[in-house]
Amino acid sequence: SSSQQKPLYLCSPFVESALVKGNFKTIVMLPKYVDIMEWVAVNIFDFYTNLNEFYGVITEFCTQHHCPTMAAGPTLNYTWINQERKSVQLAAPYYIDYVMTWVENLINDESVFPTKSNQEFHNSFPSTVKHVYRQLLRVFAHIYHAHYPQILHLRSEPHFNSLFAHFLAFGREYELLEMKDVRGSSSSPVGIGALYEKWREMGILEG
Amino acid sequence: SSGSARKADYVYFDRTTAGFSDDAVPKAKGAQLKLEHFYNVAVTAAVERNARRVDLERRLQADGSTSEERKARHLQQLGRKESTFLRLRRTKLGLDDFRTVKVIGKGAFGEVRLVQKKDTGKIYALKSLHKEEMLKKEQLAHVRAERDVLAEADSPWVVQLFYSFQDPINLYLVMEFLPGGDLMTMLIKYDTFSEDVTRFYIAECVLAIQAVHDLGFIHRDIKPDNILIDKDGHIKLSDFGLSTGFHKQHDSNYYQKLLDSSNGVQSPTVATQSSRNSVMVNSINLTMTSKDQIATWKANRRKLAYSTVGTPDYIAPEIFMQKGYGKECDWWSLGAIMFECLIGYPPFCSENTHDTYKKIMQWPQYLLFPNDVHLSREAEDLVRRLITSADRRLTIDQLKQHPFFYGVDWETIRQIESPFIPRLRSMTDTSYFPTDELEQVPEELSQEGGNSSKDLAFLGYTFKRFSVSSHAF
Ligand SMILES: Nc1ncnc2c1ncn2[C@@H]1O[C@H](COP(=O)(O)OP(=O)(O)OP(=O)(O)O)[C@@H](O)[C@H]1O
Repeated sequence: SSSQQKPLYLCSPFVESALVKGNFKTIVMLPKYVDIMEWVAVNIFDFYTNLNEFYGVITEFCTQHHCPTMAAGPTLNYTWINQERKSVQLAAPYYIDYVMTWVENLINDESVFPTKSNQEFHNSFPSTVKHVYRQLLRVFAHIYHAHYPQILHLRSEPHFNSLFAHFLAFGREYELLEMKDVRGSSSSPVGIGALYEKWREMGILEG
Repeated sequence: SSGSARKADYVYFDRTTAGFSDDAVPKAKGAQLKLEHFYNVAVTAAVERNARRVDLERRLQADGSTSEERKARHLQQLGRKESTFLRLRRTKLGLDDFRTVKVIGKGAFGEVRLVQKKDTGKIYALKSLHKEEMLKKEQLAHVRAERDVLAEADSPWVVQLFYSFQDPINLYLVMEFLPGGDLMTMLIKYDTFSEDVTRFYIAECVLAIQAVHDLGFIHRDIKPDNILIDKDGHIKLSDFGLSTGFHKQHDSNYYQKLLDSSNGVQSPTVATQSSRNSVMVNSINLTMTSKDQIATWKANRRKLAYSTVGTPDYIAPEIFMQKGYGKECDWWSLGAIMFECLIGYPPFCSENTHDTYKKIMQWPQYLLFPNDVHLSREAEDLVRRLITSADRRLTIDQLKQHPFFYGVDWETIRQIESPFIPRLRSMTDTSYFPTDELEQVPEELSQEGGNSSKDLAFLGYTFKRFSVSSHAF
């Protein structure tokens, strides 16, 4: 049947399900006079924290057995660049564990995410954040592709959808989001690419 | 049509949590609650931030005398403040960031410590509240109330809260440290105050209570322990909706039992007996000099302050009746405190809380002024107009006009010299606190153990003050 081909997250009523109604603009826009670095930093911090909560909920299903690859579409598996700069296939739980540990360490690194009052952001902060954003996007993509039924069983789809829509809106606003990362290539499309388009049609995301 | 398009897309999904581990559902619920809280806060913060900016922009626009350049600087300054505030949100403050100098107070759920923030060297009072104890006693609503009031208030009459955080065991409030101790300690030291001194403290309390009421809150448990003294000898109120007097009593079952035992069983014969009882108590008051009364009261006072049951001595009768109450209840408490300042013990003090409770309920019989203490007519009259039924109690305007306050300048009282100015040798001088009596308390707080499901109940507790003033972290 058609529902078999179509992922659940694209189907009604789940695709419309949202915790936060309306436009994300109020909470995405840079507040006037505020330092953009601080704004991006605290938001990335929050995205990481909130995503981690939800990943924690479905982690019992994200096992080496269930998810032998970091899949985000029928023909797409992300690869991890290891220390020898080789791209390797990792089971999703390992991949995600690497990502989350790496991000956590960055966030706790005073020279990357400064918290002391006289400490400035490093010039490389924007590019670091872009890397972080890209990896977090992959975690979202994997959860949508591989674990959406579990999200539904746990009645968490309004929450998870809103978190992701907010994440996308934020990425657009601060040019952290690369369209190619959302869509993937024609031979291996990213599942969430279709979701992105759908939300745009529905007006949940802007242009 | 779009209706049929929708239909084509529509799927039915059978939800089940079979196959999930036992903690999956609570964990999911937890994640959902946290996210809901997150978005609520995010929206509120955006609205408030916007209001601060619009407010400043408006004020600057209306100000003709300031140069454009200076105005721009003002706006940039606001931006810096807001940015620092955002940074504070990423800052994880924990117990590790503070060093205990001394335990300075004890309450029902934990202690109050004088602490120093390790990196800045700044001094604060750190209050810890034991989560499990609070859950047992259903104190959640109260914590929220305390957090909210302290957080919102920016009044010289209210103790400032800068920060709060939690670990699996405790909640923590980081407050400004008031080095002068509290009114309870002062009363233990001096027995009674002269009418002039009493006038000063009670007048300041009137303004402080008014400030709390103006914030839209009822304190409900004003007592000498919660009246703190700042470095200049002026008072500030702490502890909103979270005081020993209230913990146990707040439990409605507890009150109901008390009510039953005092009224419910009252057959006509018991009623006559109870009036005989009052005679007996009267005679105690007469035979015991007020000096003896003071001594007994003082001997027990601290124990009462530290116990979970606490002292109901200052609580208005209508609160016990559970039929609703208004801000008048705070003026009753003030009357009881004023009585204590002048006489040396609160008007309904008894051997045990149950008797105190009974006396409060039958206050017309038990409000007695001892013969061996001389009070001015005005003082006695004011007490009687506060310790009276709620509908007869003086209102704030009537209070300020009362002859007892003759000569009080309500506008400037906080600026005039206080009758007792603490003599402090250093920033961390704790000589105004009963630190010897608190020695049993371990110096360092432990933070091991606990389970995280408790944390959810305290969701939203963590607070960071938007104040990047001199006191910021
Ligand atoms: N900000 C402060 N500065 C100095 N001392 C304080 C401060 N806050 C509290 N104390 C001291 O600690 C004592 C206990 O504080 P507090 O009454 O807030 O504790 P508590 O745990 O809430 O007790 P309770 O709930 O029974 O009132 C006070 O009586 C006072 O002596």
